Amino acid sequence: MVEPGDSPAQMPQTAEAPDKTVRARVPTLFAAAGPRPLNGEPLIRSRDFSLFYGQKVGVKQITMDIHPQSVTAIIGPSGCGKSTFLRSINRMNDLIPNVRVEGRLEVAGIDVNDRRVNLPNLRQQVGMVFQKPNPFPKSIYDNVAYGRRFQGFRHRGELDEAVERCLRAAALWDEVKDNLRKSALALSGGQQQRLCIARALATQPKVLLMDEPCSALDPIATGRIEELIADLKSAYTIVIVTHNMQQAARVSDRTAFFCLGELIEYDWTSVIFTKPSKKQTEDYVTGRFG
Amino acid sequence: MIRRLPSTDPLRPGRLLRLRGAVDRIFTGLASGSILLIALALVVVLAPMLWRGATAVLFRGTVEFRLMQMQKFGRGNRADLAVELVQVAEVRQPVYGMLDRFSRGIATDDMEEEARRLYREFGKQLDRRDTPAQERTELRSLAKHLRDDFTEAVESTDKAAAREALGRVLRHADDPRLTGTVAEGFFRMARDYGHIVDTVDLSRRAEYAKALGEVRDAIQALFGPRPGGPRPPLVMDQYGATRWDMAEKQLARLLTAEKWVEVQPGQPLQRVEVPREREFAGTDLAPLFPLMRERAADMLRPQMTLYWQYFLDDSLSGHYFGGVGPEILGTLLITILAILFALPLGVVSAAYLVECAGDGRAVRLIRTCINALAGVPSIVFGLFGLAFFVIFLLPKFGLPQGSSILAGGLTLGLLVLPIIIRASEEAIRSVPPTYKEAALALGASRLRCFVTVMLPAALPGILTGVILSVSRAAGETAPILFTAAVAIGSTAWPPWSAVTKPTCTLAYSSYHIAVGDRLAALVPHNQYGMVMTLILLVLILNVAAILVRSRVAMRLRGQ
Repeated sequence: MVEPGDSPAQMPQTAEAPDKTVRARVPTLFAAAGPRPLNGEPLIRSRDFSLFYGQKVGVKQITMDIHPQSVTAIIGPSGCGKSTFLRSINRMNDLIPNVRVEGRLEVAGIDVNDRRVNLPNLRQQVGMVFQKPNPFPKSIYDNVAYGRRFQGFRHRGELDEAVERCLRAAALWDEVKDNLRKSALALSGGQQQRLCIARALATQPKVLLMDEPCSALDPIATGRIEELIADLKSAYTIVIVTHNMQQAARVSDRTAFFCLGELIEYDWTSVIFTKPSKKQTEDYVTGRFG
Repeated sequence: MIRRLPSTDPLRPGRLLRLRGAVDRIFTGLASGSILLIALALVVVLAPMLWRGATAVLFRGTVEFRLMQMQKFGRGNRADLAVELVQVAEVRQPVYGMLDRFSRGIATDDMEEEARRLYREFGKQLDRRDTPAQERTELRSLAKHLRDDFTEAVESTDKAAAREALGRVLRHADDPRLTGTVAEGFFRMARDYGHIVDTVDLSRRAEYAKALGEVRDAIQALFGPRPGGPRPPLVMDQYGATRWDMAEKQLARLLTAEKWVEVQPGQPLQRVEVPREREFAGTDLAPLFPLMRERAADMLRPQMTLYWQYFLDDSLSGHYFGGVGPEILGTLLITILAILFALPLGVVSAAYLVECAGDGRAVRLIRTCINALAGVPSIVFGLFGLAFFVIFLLPKFGLPQGSSILAGGLTLGLLVLPIIIRASEEAIRSVPPTYKEAALALGASRLRCFVTVMLPAALPGILTGVILSVSRAAGETAPILFTAAVAIGSTAWPPWSAVTKPTCTLAYSSYHIAVGDRLAALVPHNQYGMVMTLILLVLILNVAAILVRSRVAMRLRGQ
């Protein structure tokens, strides 16, 4: 299930069998400790959360806490369930038929899989940015105002103000302020992705889920998005799924490593990338596996 | 083991590749060939249709046309027309003179009747004049002789016998007792008839009478009712040939007789064209034909006419004159109503099929039914519309039980529903799923997501369905046969006031002309004109829909 193409290109890949001496150089300090206690009250709390596609396992017994005003990266090989877990947080997996969940997944203390949860409300609280930029075929203005409009803000001034605020927050305002009526599809890929972020910000979410937001972008656009993530961190709780381990190392505070639907290790990013406690994690981040 | 590769040179295509290239080219050729063929067929079918249809609007109109336009629609210059009519009447006068003179000698029944009338009148005159009894008896018996002799002369087919009988009549012409009485009519008739006897072969009189009837009909068809005569009740009989092309047909009928003769015994009869000039050779009518041949244009004065009001005018005398205004309005109304009915229903059904319905047995059945519905013959829809809308449903809402635009529009709406459902389904299905994902992730409800994102993105595809439906609905005849159509109608204004009334449509009216017993032969231009109008109407509606679609598509592409 791990394809060779998925291994990060930046990591020097050793074609030969794993060299044991390399692993020995990286000490594993927290091997027995499990996820280290992290500061503050967690906003998203997962307890033995499992998800099944029919008989197939999506994620298995995930237990982790995600903390507010920080960036949490989820890394792992393809098909390891990191996107599945991300999409469970705002229940986007509901679109797929025959999905079944077990365990608890709380956002701000509320179980999202509770029958009584107001789904539109949840998704307004937990915004999402997708892998490929997917602006609506509408004007830039309408794209950003879309979520705001059905939250009941129809007044022209309020909308204008919200659109400007979100576009500024997404660092797109200076580039598009003169032609907000232009179609969003006329923007470049990087601009489109920042527009999607602005659009997600418009509903004033607490959490921003990012599903490989830079995988379809060139390095410059990627750099801008990463800067943006660093800026947004102070106001939002960001969970980002990424294939690019350097990106995870650059932007995130904490990193979770998933493999085969299981959470292998979850710790400070610096720890994961320098002294992971599990051998699997170490193999993955050093590029020996995956 | 060394296997020889098919080709070692990477730039030279191998045999398989060459074969594939050839197959590709053949396919391309076939495909473009068939497209070309379809286009050619369309041109071959449509071009003559449009060309002939154009003659309904642009043609050489005669003075009769201008008279009709003045009297029925109040168009044209009254003073000019009056002058023209006087001039034309002057040229036509000799035609009527010749006809009268000749027909007097041919119509034996008329002459005998006239003789009997003269005899009766003469008797009454004698009574009034208080003639002495003896003289009265004498005169009466004289008149009786005159009558009988004249009748004998008229009935005789032998020239000599007829002349002799006429001589017996004219012998009394100088009788002073008859001077100034009604009886003088006998002598005038005898002299006229004497002239006929000299010029006409009496044995062929029956033939002449028949031919004369044809000539009279042709003249009436050309010039309309005789001036001073009674005005016919039907509008189509009130005017002569209004179009020069129709006048030429009548002229040909006037100038040449069609006869079926037995060339060889036992063989089928053969059609021979005999010039009327030869048929009437030697008679008083003979000069009529060269006159008509040479001066027909002066008698009818054809002028190139652009009758653009054809698209607005009501029809007169069952499409004999006038235009297709009510047909155009009816077609538009019924089509728009059908789309208004079918579009929301179709889009909602398509949304259900794509968004809500799974792939269960029931949904598969529904899909099959929709496909089957598209294949149902249109007459079945017509009968269903009659049974359901006309008889059952609409009377429930207090509408009169009968054909109406509403019933027809609903029926046509059902007819085009499968087209719209299928087009919309495809369109909604082809909206990128990322749009839906994005909207849902922003917290939009499924309904809002559909209305604000999916529907606008699917609009071009839905409009394609509308384009197909418009063409289909505007051209249908069978579904409105029992639900909405009448043969003749007038333009209703404002248009929506007509929604509960039956209407005529272009397709139905051209069908009606075609099945009418003689109308199709009399007004082919009108039939082609309707078909042309229908083509143009559908074309205009399509172009409008295509423009809207391309605008929407352009906006969606972000230009």
